Amino acid sequence: MQWKQVTAVAATVMLAVAACGTPSSNNKGGANAGNAGTAQEKATDPTAKGPAPEIEGAQKGGVATVLSDVTPDTMDPTNIYFIDGNQIGKLMYRALTQYRLDGDSHKPVLVPDLAEDLGTKSADGLTWTFKLKQGIKYMDGTPVKAADYAYAIKRSFAHDLYDAGPTYQDEYFKDGKTYKGPYGANGDNYAGVDTPDDHTLVIHLAKKFDDLPYYAAFPMFTPIPKAKDTKKSYDLKPMTTGPYQVDSYTPGSELKLKRNPHWDPNTDPVRYQYPDAWDFKFGQDTLKVQRQVLASNGPDANALNYSDLDSSLVPEVKDQSQIVTGPQPCTNVWGLDTRKIPMEIRQLIAKAYPFDTYRKVAGLTPQTAIPASTILPPAVPGYEKYELPGLVGTGKGAEDPAVASEVKAKLKELGKENFELSWYYSNDDKIATQVNQLRTQVYTAAGFKVRAVGVPKAKIRTLRNDPAAPVNIAQGPSGWCSDWPSGASWFPVLFKSDAVALSNSIGMLQDKTLDAEIDRVNGLTADQQLKEWSKVDKLIMEKYLPLIPLYYSYSGYPVGKNLGHVINDPTQGLPEFTSIFLKQP
Amino acid sequence: MSIGSPDSTVGIEEHPASAEPVRGSAVPHGKSPTRVAVDRLRKDRVAVICAFVVLFFILIAIFAPVLTKIEGGDIGTFHPDLVDEYGFPTFASNAQHWFGVEPKTGRDNFARWVYGARPSLIIAFVATLSGTVVGVVMGLLAGFLGGWVDRIISWFVDFVLSLPYLLFAIAMVPIVESMRGGSFNLSPEEQASTRFFVLIFVLSFFGWAGLARIIRGEVLSLREREFVLAAKAIGVPTRQVLFKELLPNLVAPIVISASLSLPAYVTAEAGLSFLGVGLIEPVPSWGQTIATATNWFKADPLYLWLPVLGITALVLALALLGDAVRDAFDPKTRR
Repeated sequence: MQWKQVTAVAATVMLAVAACGTPSSNNKGGANAGNAGTAQEKATDPTAKGPAPEIEGAQKGGVATVLSDVTPDTMDPTNIYFIDGNQIGKLMYRALTQYRLDGDSHKPVLVPDLAEDLGTKSADGLTWTFKLKQGIKYMDGTPVKAADYAYAIKRSFAHDLYDAGPTYQDEYFKDGKTYKGPYGANGDNYAGVDTPDDHTLVIHLAKKFDDLPYYAAFPMFTPIPKAKDTKKSYDLKPMTTGPYQVDSYTPGSELKLKRNPHWDPNTDPVRYQYPDAWDFKFGQDTLKVQRQVLASNGPDANALNYSDLDSSLVPEVKDQSQIVTGPQPCTNVWGLDTRKIPMEIRQLIAKAYPFDTYRKVAGLTPQTAIPASTILPPAVPGYEKYELPGLVGTGKGAEDPAVASEVKAKLKELGKENFELSWYYSNDDKIATQVNQLRTQVYTAAGFKVRAVGVPKAKIRTLRNDPAAPVNIAQGPSGWCSDWPSGASWFPVLFKSDAVALSNSIGMLQDKTLDAEIDRVNGLTADQQLKEWSKVDKLIMEKYLPLIPLYYSYSGYPVGKNLGHVINDPTQGLPEFTSIFLKQP
Repeated sequence: MSIGSPDSTVGIEEHPASAEPVRGSAVPHGKSPTRVAVDRLRKDRVAVICAFVVLFFILIAIFAPVLTKIEGGDIGTFHPDLVDEYGFPTFASNAQHWFGVEPKTGRDNFARWVYGARPSLIIAFVATLSGTVVGVVMGLLAGFLGGWVDRIISWFVDFVLSLPYLLFAIAMVPIVESMRGGSFNLSPEEQASTRFFVLIFVLSFFGWAGLARIIRGEVLSLREREFVLAAKAIGVPTRQVLFKELLPNLVAPIVISASLSLPAYVTAEAGLSFLGVGLIEPVPSWGQTIATATNWFKADPLYLWLPVLGITALVLALALLGDAVRDAFDPKTRR
């Protein structure tokens, strides 16, 4: 899943430019996995029923405000792929499945949402049947029909209109590569979905996709009635099934939600409907709104900001309970183009990387950026910690003159003196330019020749995503977050040969042996995969080194004093909006 | 009764309000307006103090390398060991870093402050100089030659004055970068220097038009005066009439306009850099520092106060000096 777009001043800036490639991916099936670290544990509960248990001390009423410095590009359920859009969408759109956050650690458990269960797989694994809940209504009182689910799935193939949404259906669903959505000629006839009666949805696959129930939690699986589909402007007045409906939406600046009177808590095992309304204000100034939220004066006490607290504001935190923390399923990396940089040089680059100073200059705090040594972050099931020498996310690198001269001598020995390293950086972003200066200084001291290309922030994502870009470092995504808790939404997407053309590749690996190994693991059962992914992780780092892991991101965002039950959703690394209430409405 | 001996002092006493100041016999008869103005300036205490402040900043800018050498810092070196893991400086000031270090990077504040005076002053002076030269020449030509020359120049002046200056400043950067070979082929230093020259160009390009209009008006009234007509009548070449007869009479408006545009350009440079469309890293500038330092104000107030004080003192001094110059040159003001 894509990292949320990032801000100008905040500590998160470096990732911002990074984000995660284009959403197109070529995933090959995957695992049914448990929570981070605990490989054997089942993380699904197909029998979960509504209503969700009342939260202690919760009050009804009031308006909860979200002051966001970033701006989700769309609220269309089919087109949402950024994590913040996804999370906000949960207030409005119910999908087939959903995550419930259990216990004090908020362990994500997959539960049925609009489906009665988590789907039934046919013996060959190519047909999935979802029983649908009865009596579900849209916010205007009209009943939800099975055909609406089918229509939503058909709609997700119209990539010319919805270019940002997830694309696993192209790969796995029947006729996914040829079907072009419901709008063209013959658009109604799609063999991939079937509704034999009004409470059954059947999905036909082209190949096995055991992670389908996880994928079914994406908002693109929310029902959309064909008669109400206004295509590109659907997100201005969408048909919602969740506890809230759109009151008004001004793309890019504000989204106001009001209660949905036809949402029935008895059918929903996850969501609540405490505040009367929600007010999302986008594109705000990070530091300004974070200060406002921390100060919690007047209406700001009902507000939160979901970007990690800027390091310059750390001394202004008087009450630690105002900072909500929790894991995010994301790793941030510095990609090294394996096509252009030989392995020995890649090792030297890693050795020279000035982790400690980089962290300070980029404004990363110890709480929100945990030094990384692996590709998979701890929040992903199957993560196993290992540390390769020099790749632990900390250290002085070539800032230490001894290391610098050692690297220089090695380069000379290899006959690659003044080897040219080149990368893009945003020259209109102060933090990015300072990080660039640091890297330039350090790598020049270590005997490399550095060619840093300054480009405007608005263009950097496009430039980095071009696999043929004339640079050899930091191409493609500069960070990745799980689409669902499994290594299957990581390795096949990022390191297989065909990822290069889809501009998802980190390190531009094109190695048949590695492709075969990733395919092998992807074909295993869920439990077997858990152990294997971390081996693939280590293999890639030891044998190929296509990236330098920088840090695992960890949530630490400020919330207003009057908001209750603000918890971090580890599947997104964002606040779980649907259970928030106002202590004094 | 005698009619009294002739008294040589009578005449002078009868004309106490003479515009001619009392002067010793050594002073030749008649002072140039410039000379009168300089004399007045010298007596103006505010003007003298302001001139010293401006001189102080000019010296700082000129001797920035020497000053940083004395201190022992430089503008580019990162000192990560001097900031804690949240990026806050671990000390306020010490013998190696007189003004402390920058948050996050640990670069030396003193070095960045003294070097930060350079772009402000260079841009302000160069832009003023070129804007003034172009403005004066254009104004002279338009006013004196008249006819189609006047019409073309006046149209051009109107055109320039109607252009949106901020938009122009932003839009120029990519154009100039592509002329220099495209941003892909430029190093960060080259990109920063492009910004620098674009800023000078934009400020002078928008500065000349107003002055040209003033000069044109002055010339229009001067060219009908007897001394100009006489010069023309005896066949003095146009160039000589322009620069020998007219120009000396235009010193006052020129000096006034220049002295008022200097502080305006210092502010414009800082403002544009603050907004992110002016100078960029790695060139140190006060405007950029202020933009960053506002985030750190609570924890590290010195970091913000230094560039703010620098800009305030410089602009205030330049503005008061400009005022004094205008007063000195304007025969209608008396203080």
